[in-house]
Amino acid sequence: MEDQSKSTGSGADNPYAQYHVVKKGDTLSKIAQEYYGDAQLYPQIFEANRDILKDPNKIQVGQKLRIP
Amino acid sequence: MYAKRFLSLAFLALAVLVSACTNYKEPAQAAITQAETALDAISVDAQKYLPDKYKEVQDAIDAAKASFEKNDYKGALAAAKDLPAKVSELGTEVKAAKEQAIAALTDSWNSMSGDLPKMVDAIQSRVDMLSKSKKLPKGLDQATFDAAKSGLDEMKNMWNAAQQSFSSGNVEDAVAKAKSVQAKGSEIMASLGMQTAPKT
Repeated sequence: MEDQSKSTGSGADNPYAQYHVVKKGDTLSKIAQEYYGDAQLYPQIFEANRDILKDPNKIQVGQKLRIP
Repeated sequence: MYAKRFLSLAFLALAVLVSACTNYKEPAQAAITQAETALDAISVDAQKYLPDKYKEVQDAIDAAKASFEKNDYKGALAAAKDLPAKVSELGTEVKAAKEQAIAALTDSWNSMSGDLPKMVDAIQSRVDMLSKSKKLPKGLDQATFDAAKSGLDEMKNMWNAAQQSFSSGNVEDAVAKAKSVQAKGSEIMASLGMQTAPKT
């Protein structure tokens, strides 16, 4: 079982929280487009993952991001 | 002379027979009535929690009544004499079965009452995000999204109703409603493309 203790906000203790595991070629904009249909909403994903992301332009393959 | 003696003996025999019948009739009637009254008092719970045992006792009462109605008071008494004890034993078993069922329902409630508000939060979070979006994601059309939003409102109302049922002591109804909330939530999550299985 993967440790989710580093997840952000209410997602950390919410068994229904939604996650995305970063794949090669992913950007927060692409992820926002995939889940919300709007790439401009990427800051929301960044904010939800501030504990593991310092820069919205720097995400790493394998990172588990919470998708609000 | 003989005829008179014979009639006297016959009358005496009849009197003994009637007396004997009367000796069985009243206790048989009393045992049947006592058993029926006691069974009536527990019938709702007994049929719910121990239907097979309830039927067994009910059949035994019916058998005793059938004998009684055929004027077989001795047979009726034989069939009925243990009935009050059987009903009493059934009552004890029903009480235990009910307590066990309520305890299991309470466990279910405790589990769901911890999880379901989180499920609502997760759906609300996604609905809020999608509401900010200029365009819905691939695979999600406006009608489905609108249905999800109204479903979420419905889910919240159902959850409130479940909590009210629990507060008023109706655990069974509360759990039934909570299960409906859970099913509705899973349906909404699936329609929004969310993962429905809670992470453990």
